[in-house]
Amino acid sequence: MKRLRVLLLLLLPAGLAAREPAPQEDWSRRIHAIPGVQVVGSRPIGEVGVQRTRLDSAVLKENIALSMADVLTFHSSIFVKSYGRATLSTAAFRGTSPSHTQVTWNGMKINSPMLGMTDFSMIPSYFIDDASLLHGTSSVGETGGGLGGAVKLATRPAEARGFALQYVQGFGSFGTFDEFLRMTWGDDHWQLSTRAVYSSSSNDYPYRNRDKKENVYDDEMNIVGSYYPVERNRSGAFKDLHLLQEVYYNTGRGDRFGLNAWYVDSDRELPVLTTDYADRTAFENSQRERTFRGVVSWDHLRRDWKVAARAGYIHTRMAYDYERDPGNGTMTPMTRSRSRVDTFYGQVDGQYSIGRRWLFTASLAAHQHLVESRDRNIIRQDGDQAVVGYDQRRVELSGSLSAKWRPTDRFGVSAVLREELFGTEWTPPIPALFVDGVLSERGDLTVKASLSRNFRFPTLNDLYFLPGGNPDLKKERGWTYDAGLSFAAGRAGSYRLSGSATWFDSHVDDWIVWLPTTKGFFSPRNLKRVHAYGVELQADLDVALAQAWRLGLDGTYSWTPSINCGEPMTEDDRSVGKQLPYVPEHSAALTGRLAWRTWTLLYKWCWYSRRYTMSSNDTTLTGHLPAYFMNNLSLEKRFAFRWADLSVKGAVNNLFDEEYLSVLSRPMPGIHFELFVGITPRWGKRHQP
Amino acid sequence: MKTARRILFATLAALLLGGCMKWDYGSTETFEAPARGLFVLNEGNFQYGNATLSFYDPETRRVENELFRRANGFRLGDVAQSMTVRGDVGWIVVNNSHVIFAIDLATFREVGRITNLTSPRYIHFLSDDKAYVTQLWDNRIFVVDPRRYRIMGYIECPGMTMESGSTEQMVQDGRYLYVNCWSYQNRILKIDTETDRVVDELTVGIQPVSLVMDCNRKLWTLTDGGYEGSPYGYEAPSLCRIDPETFAVERRFEFRLGSSPSAMRLNGAGDRLYWIDDDIWCMETAADRLPGQPFVRGDGTLYYGLTVDPERGDVYVADAIDYQQQGVVRRYASSGELLDRFYAGVTPGAFCWK
Repeated sequence: MKRLRVLLLLLLPAGLAAREPAPQEDWSRRIHAIPGVQVVGSRPIGEVGVQRTRLDSAVLKENIALSMADVLTFHSSIFVKSYGRATLSTAAFRGTSPSHTQVTWNGMKINSPMLGMTDFSMIPSYFIDDASLLHGTSSVGETGGGLGGAVKLATRPAEARGFALQYVQGFGSFGTFDEFLRMTWGDDHWQLSTRAVYSSSSNDYPYRNRDKKENVYDDEMNIVGSYYPVERNRSGAFKDLHLLQEVYYNTGRGDRFGLNAWYVDSDRELPVLTTDYADRTAFENSQRERTFRGVVSWDHLRRDWKVAARAGYIHTRMAYDYERDPGNGTMTPMTRSRSRVDTFYGQVDGQYSIGRRWLFTASLAAHQHLVESRDRNIIRQDGDQAVVGYDQRRVELSGSLSAKWRPTDRFGVSAVLREELFGTEWTPPIPALFVDGVLSERGDLTVKASLSRNFRFPTLNDLYFLPGGNPDLKKERGWTYDAGLSFAAGRAGSYRLSGSATWFDSHVDDWIVWLPTTKGFFSPRNLKRVHAYGVELQADLDVALAQAWRLGLDGTYSWTPSINCGEPMTEDDRSVGKQLPYVPEHSAALTGRLAWRTWTLLYKWCWYSRRYTMSSNDTTLTGHLPAYFMNNLSLEKRFAFRWADLSVKGAVNNLFDEEYLSVLSRPMPGIHFELFVGITPRWGKRHQP
Repeated sequence: MKTARRILFATLAALLLGGCMKWDYGSTETFEAPARGLFVLNEGNFQYGNATLSFYDPETRRVENELFRRANGFRLGDVAQSMTVRGDVGWIVVNNSHVIFAIDLATFREVGRITNLTSPRYIHFLSDDKAYVTQLWDNRIFVVDPRRYRIMGYIECPGMTMESGSTEQMVQDGRYLYVNCWSYQNRILKIDTETDRVVDELTVGIQPVSLVMDCNRKLWTLTDGGYEGSPYGYEAPSLCRIDPETFAVERRFEFRLGSSPSAMRLNGAGDRLYWIDDDIWCMETAADRLPGQPFVRGDGTLYYGLTVDPERGDVYVADAIDYQQQGVVRRYASSGELLDRFYAGVTPGAFCWK
């Protein structure tokens, strides 16, 4: 039996199973004080050819104020389109759209069945213990519809022994307060965890508004001067509460049971545009969300086979209100939009291995969505009141079979066949093929390649939204190919270097786009053919600079041309052959960690190339978004007392006070500051220096 | 010491990577506009604040885009809806920016603005110091003082709430002003401009989208019929001729159910109607049936706006293409011959003659 011997100092390279540190340990200690360890492992047969980026728990637990949108921005090749601080933030892989990114939480899909996308600003990173990105083809093994890829989010047992508690308080600019509490208890069989995050902010950051000028008038109302005003982000306040309860029971004889319940209570104002001239006190624009997500799970493990079953439920109520004061001091509704989504989920997975060379898996997942959307209250012609909206339900089935074969330790091949049913419509078979091979054991140089077909069905809003829903829409169709190399090298106690380079190429037909109509509303159409291709690079370096000094660098770079290849709509159409709007062609991120004893300096940098706002890629004065860099810096000091671990952390975000936009007319905050104080009591533990 | 140097080097490298990025906001330009020409209002994309103003000189066939931004150094706003000329001043209604800008027609420089409007659609001048502004999402028509750029009062509109409120285009005939009520509405309102009150209303069909008055002082309105599944109703669109004296529908021409007529305009003589319904259509006001053949056939185009040169009779049609790039304006002679075409801004939707 040949085994791959991989020497790791801090973290395992991407594509291999990571050793996650015990969650009850102080997280900051985990980042910097992990000693060099020698791990001997087999390349997991379940990961044959899979392009997976695993986000380390140190990254996820970096800062209680971070959402998954922040984490993905700085630690992945995904493009995050943000409409502002604590506002809608969507994520897209490889030049596709946010609805082409499938998101699961503990196995259950959490993409909105109405919109198809996920708002990552509503997912606190502190609630996620295990996050991995499945790029392109690799998502087919997990779920369908991920024409760009999938983001897999999960929680895990805390592995607590007895009772433990962690509390972190954060204070920040613009009246921002963040609180995080986690209580855990565990023994050989039971693991209990309760987590709570509460964030609030008036979020009224100042910015120089270059999109408008304030006038100075004389007595005759002649303009005698004008200037770009310094304004505050109006209508941007938010209050977000998240509660997460987990209960796990492990029989110790191969059966594990789990319960995860996550409640979200969010009240957010919706910031106004830079080009808005309304009196702030005369208008209110807000959104409320109440969401419950719950999953129960059972895993039955045996030496050669295992089965797992999950059941879940999602309940979401969204309310959008746009009101104005008509002059009598009472806010009067202009728009009262309400929606309610209930999703029932069930999934059964099984896998069976024959020796070390063969692995067979089967999976069947079902999601039943019940959606009620109420968008506008009107008075009918007969004088009665009526509501514009829709009430629809849809069942979604997704099943897959796979066979993975590793004839030698250096080569593996895997085939997946998936089939999906949305409502009454089946997809054609969705095949995916993966291969990988070790080119050289020295440096663990590995080559991977995969290809797959994929489909994405229209969302319920695409089909039924009133007005504009188009029940005749076709599903989007895609083919994706990718290939890449990865390596890992290092020397015990000195350094570790790993990296990967991946080329990808995908074609999506019948791309759905919402367009205005002459009747004053938008309506979706199967409009575009898109060819997205490019390269993703990733590298991680960890170096022991000197005694007590450690340096870690993680970097990503993406080149993602995403080209409209459809037929021109008319002879005047200049969009064919051009980059899709709002998709950056280049993006990069770099994170550096420098640790010295109990001090940690963290530097995060990211860059997006300019983004076009027009499909013709014209760059007019009003129609382009320049490239921008973003720099965040934080410094943390940890204190270890006999009775508790304490930590104090200061962070500076947007270090160089950049004026930047992610979306037109949506200002982002300039330099701002955060301070965090954390305490982890040592219940009955001895002081460990 | 060696370690410290390494760290210093790494820090400097990081600062270099961080480098400062600053926006190029450009500067203002000076313009001398020709005596006559066509303003094109480009709506832009809703919620993106990228509306723009273009100006086309029919004599030289020269077009200037992004005029407002270039002349004033800031953006026009979100969803440019309409423009009205009064004397030497152009009044640009920017719907989702809650503002109306007044610009000098020679220099395109701003001379004032009316702010804090609900969702303005059109402005109509009764005199130099009084104008009406229609609204969406509001059951009131705003009465404004254009000299002082301020809101003076409101006209309450019956049969609608803030949520279902919609008043659109205005046509004045002597003392009375007529307004079509469009979104989830079916009426034409008659307003006494001396008392600023609604004095009468006429039901014409679901969602009257355009309103004009011809050379014979007859009102014409075009209804779009709503949409399938609408709780307000769905019917065949229609073209109605209304006698303002009796305030009654004199003649009704019905379109095919499912068609989407919009943007009806008159020629300069006021005796020929033009509108968009996938193709471009025209009809004599004296005709007794809808035309069987279009004036200009669409060919994959998404026509969004239309105007007729009141002097030459040329027809200008805006094609939004995919609504995400600079749209094209096509200029046709009254014979239907294509004379010129030019790129304007994103979603060209409204026109105004200087």
